[in-house]
Amino acid sequence: MTVLKDRVTSRMVAPVMRRRLNPFLMVAVGAVLVVVLTYTLPPFRTYQLATIGAYLCVTAGLTVLTGLNGQLSLGHGALMATGAYTLALWQNKFNLLAVGIVVAILVTTVAGLVIGLAAARLRGPYLAGLTLAVAVVVPSVASTFDETFNSDQGLSVILNPPPESMTVEQWQAWLCWGGALVTTLVLALVTRGRFGRDMRAVRDDETAAKLAGISIARTQVWTFVISAACAGLGGALFAVLAQSVSPGAFPLTLSLFLVMAIVIGGLGRLTGAVIGAFLLVALPAVAHEIGEASGSQRLEGNLALTFFGVVLVVVMLAAPGGLASLRLPRSWRARLSRKPAHRAGS
Amino acid sequence: MSTDSSTSPTASSDSPGDQGLALHHITVRFGGLLALDDVSLRVPPGRIVGIIGPNGAGKTTLFNVICGFVAPQSGAITLDGRPFRPRPHHLSGRGIARTLQGVGQFNGMTVLDNVLVGARSRKHEEEAWAALERCGVAEHAGALPASLPYAKRKRVELARALAAKPRILMLDEPAGGLDADEIRWLATLIQEAGCTVLLVEHHMDLVMSVCDEILVLDFGKPIALGTPGEIRNDEKVAEAYLGAAA
Repeated sequence: MTVLKDRVTSRMVAPVMRRRLNPFLMVAVGAVLVVVLTYTLPPFRTYQLATIGAYLCVTAGLTVLTGLNGQLSLGHGALMATGAYTLALWQNKFNLLAVGIVVAILVTTVAGLVIGLAAARLRGPYLAGLTLAVAVVVPSVASTFDETFNSDQGLSVILNPPPESMTVEQWQAWLCWGGALVTTLVLALVTRGRFGRDMRAVRDDETAAKLAGISIARTQVWTFVISAACAGLGGALFAVLAQSVSPGAFPLTLSLFLVMAIVIGGLGRLTGAVIGAFLLVALPAVAHEIGEASGSQRLEGNLALTFFGVVLVVVMLAAPGGLASLRLPRSWRARLSRKPAHRAGS
Repeated sequence: MSTDSSTSPTASSDSPGDQGLALHHITVRFGGLLALDDVSLRVPPGRIVGIIGPNGAGKTTLFNVICGFVAPQSGAITLDGRPFRPRPHHLSGRGIARTLQGVGQFNGMTVLDNVLVGARSRKHEEEAWAALERCGVAEHAGALPASLPYAKRKRVELARALAAKPRILMLDEPAGGLDADEIRWLATLIQEAGCTVLLVEHHMDLVMSVCDEILVLDFGKPIALGTPGEIRNDEKVAEAYLGAAA
């Protein structure tokens, strides 16, 4: 058996396995890169880098939910709002950031469990409809209970100043990317194991998955819970970044942007989630600069949405699997794969 | 499989201590359609039992009842003499594996991952590789199922079922779309499965060559039960397949 496995692995499986990058190594490389960037980029770019980190927490969880488990959620903006408001309330009462982030994740996890239990009974457009309703309802809840959430003005978030050795932006970037890298590492490990296989099996064929011993409902609920926890963390980090939370920060369009971002990046791929998080920051920034240059505020307001739409259409035409599915041209790949052989032969 | 054959194939003489799977007077209706009409069947361990009948006879419905996809209006199922209320995702844990008509596969996963999904024990990797080897698809372990020919994809599905190390293997039209060589290979695999096999199949040569006993359904009603030789010479069976003139 072992002999066969080794023989087959070396012949057929190895090309597939080799493409899988070591998640610990990737996270270590990512951490080094972030540290270097925070010391080289100007403050505003460092702030944008931190924002990408916060978005990555959300897009990574959402791409696992939608891409690997087949559950379309249009309500992740609302889950982010849950995490953000929880952190704001906690900070304003206790001012213990680390614990506050954990509490925000836990509260969002519970919210995700409730939604996930309902979502596991729904399919396709009905599931999308349910999550869409959540995206609409949660911000309006914040507007309604103004004694707790201070209506449309929202809440400010009390934070201790960062250590003296670093700027606010550096501290924010480290915090957000710390969360993002832990999130991606956990998700990479989870999706590579048995639970990851179960998620994909449920997505591909529910009947065959059931017969293989997989509980469809349990798998879907757990995936939703994991994804919600990621969204909660992302929301809490956003609250730290903005130092305030308000219903206007989590509109329905945010949920739509998140879905568009993971589709453009590459559904079901953590690399795609990174690309999606980058686009969520980069495209509005480009739209802002074009809007400013044109002098039209109205154009500036709508340009980001237009950009996303155009990019989505172009990417889907050129690379239906998203930007993360793009490969080097065959001639390049052949050249790269030939090089080690030459070295081995010489 | 055994029945009290003094009256009809539906009459079974079950006793609580019996090993294996037993269906007791199963009746299923879909609205006004009687899909299964008082079907009883006992499958002792290690036997290969075929279930045949014309299209729409209720063969797959019977499988769906055993798997818990369809709840019968009346009747009961026992496993090793104990009441058995099947739920699809619990079957694997009870040692029952089933393949689907066509190919029920996870197309977004490699062949190896497809089979690993079926192997639920701690030694799941070893079992998956053993099943891949047994079904002759180990060399495609890194490929996506959709990139393989139909016959190989059927083998992958069989490998997933075998990776679960089932004591009861339910095969729903496994020979559909296979050529003669593949069917010969399939016959050998079934005979050497080392477990109880329930086989729904239209390919008569395969059924007659591998089965110890055969149950024949027609319009949901069991019309014959016996060894392949008995079934071959049964007038009711010939009539069901060829019409009254036969």
